[in-house]
Amino acid sequence: MTRQGVIAPVEMANTAPTNVLVVGVGGQGVIMISKAVARLCQENGLEVKQSEVHGMAKRGGSVFSHIRFGQEVKSPLIPQGEADILLAMEWAEGLRWLPYLNPERGIFIADTQRIVPPFSCRDRNRGAESGYINTSVQELVEKVPNAFAMDATSVATELGNARAANTVLLGALSTALEFSQEEWHRVIAEAVPPKTVGVNKEAFVKGRHWVESGETATDFSSDNVISLKEPRESRLEITQAWCKGCDICVKMCPERCLQLDQHQIVQLIDEKRCTGCRLCEWLCPDFAISVEAK
Amino acid sequence: MVETGKTTQEFEIRDYLRTELMPHFMCPGCGHGIALRALLWAIHDLGIAKDNLAVVSGIGCSGRTAAYIDANTIHTTHGRPLSFATGLKLARPDLHVVVITGDGDSLAIGGNHLIHACRRNLDITCVLLNNEVYGMTGGQVSPTTSAGRYTTTTPAGNHEPVFDACELATAAGASFVGREITMHVTALRDLFVQGLKHSGFSFIEVISDCTEIYGRKNELGNSPEMVMSHKADIRPESYGNVVDEPFRPTDLNVGVLSQTDRPEYYTAYRQHFGKQVEGNDDPKKGGAVT
Repeated sequence: MTRQGVIAPVEMANTAPTNVLVVGVGGQGVIMISKAVARLCQENGLEVKQSEVHGMAKRGGSVFSHIRFGQEVKSPLIPQGEADILLAMEWAEGLRWLPYLNPERGIFIADTQRIVPPFSCRDRNRGAESGYINTSVQELVEKVPNAFAMDATSVATELGNARAANTVLLGALSTALEFSQEEWHRVIAEAVPPKTVGVNKEAFVKGRHWVESGETATDFSSDNVISLKEPRESRLEITQAWCKGCDICVKMCPERCLQLDQHQIVQLIDEKRCTGCRLCEWLCPDFAISVEAK
Repeated sequence: MVETGKTTQEFEIRDYLRTELMPHFMCPGCGHGIALRALLWAIHDLGIAKDNLAVVSGIGCSGRTAAYIDANTIHTTHGRPLSFATGLKLARPDLHVVVITGDGDSLAIGGNHLIHACRRNLDITCVLLNNEVYGMTGGQVSPTTSAGRYTTTTPAGNHEPVFDACELATAAGASFVGREITMHVTALRDLFVQGLKHSGFSFIEVISDCTEIYGRKNELGNSPEMVMSHKADIRPESYGNVVDEPFRPTDLNVGVLSQTDRPEYYTAYRQHFGKQVEGNDDPKKGGAVT
């Protein structure tokens, strides 16, 4: 976790609308957070426009929500470089939306939790480098003037429900807007499932206190990033006498490392590409291939 | 149900094959080989000793698969593997009896035996390898040949409605009914594990394929295309298991289709004839060798 002073509240008296961009990964509660913020602003007599993309994101996909409020809001979308607050529930998503943040006075609040999608590593070989962004918190803080990065997921997990991480971040966000804590509690209670009202309130307070208290904390560790250090060797054994050249293994191999030779017998053309997934072994009707994964 | 021991050893198919008979006689790309692997894998996972396994098969390409299993195997008459298996299970209830049969074997010629085996609910696992055709005899039409498909006996395309084997087995009273395609090897293995564990008649239909005779005649592509094609036939999960149009090739339900808790035949038999059977090992007088 890292921080740069207490958040200075965004001035809402201006005629220009205040822009809050909430981003994250499907299932984290991006929409719930933005609904809570939008409702609170609306109840305070402000004009609110909120627009989101969630349908195609599925669980684990990218989700974002634009919230604009003020005396008069014309467009529901935040232009690039004009977001006053960028709230990211996932590290890479936050970095993805950085161009939308106001470069001078924009406030960046992010969870340091990393959710590494399976397709970030397209190389299926053991020991392959992950394609997940490797920008560290320190590097980000140097780039963004008002950056607040906290391990909200761990905070929420300690409270007993990892899914309350979004409310922890909402707590941090609440310090940037001029609404009272009671009002926030009320909208959260309305937005979350009845059984989780208690834990969400605690999470909100934790997030708010984290900003207000100014406690120091550590950078996120890379513990939760899957690393496949040791390359796995697999040995493919082909019983040529049993092979009938049906082509199933050749077509099914995801790495395309099998081939039929001139006698229509399967052969391994590139041992290094074989990842030992065993599809060829399982689908061989003639039991001619056996994979020994070490 | 016979007790099984869990095994941690990795599955090696050669331990379960009569390797001296390999390579097997089946055509290149025949789905029966994949189904056989899944079956042996399930047997390995359950830790069933080869001596406690009896595989009964009928006539046809499916019937031939049993010959390659290194266990107690019987190759019986056309359509009657279930009848042989019924006798075997009653005489030796300590054995795991698996019947491997085909669509022609058990739905046409042995149709009667199938429905009565389902009705009795004896603890047998019946594996039906459905490739939609009589492959071994030269490609005649079978009760599961899809509409419009060409075979040697339907040169103008098949016009007959087809049997849905799983619906038939459920209606006849099988207490465990499941279906899977060969492409899903591990799912097929898991289905076999469930079927073998189930106490009662478990009927598992495997959607296999006949590349040489059926696929070539109907231009269904080569072996890889045929194996993959069944994935497109599967009915989406969201549709549920409601069968309103029981005709292949589309809308194929896979997985466990029905599982009921009916009394198993042998247990019920022992209860019914308990007094007579007690201390009586003469089968002619209603006793059983245990």
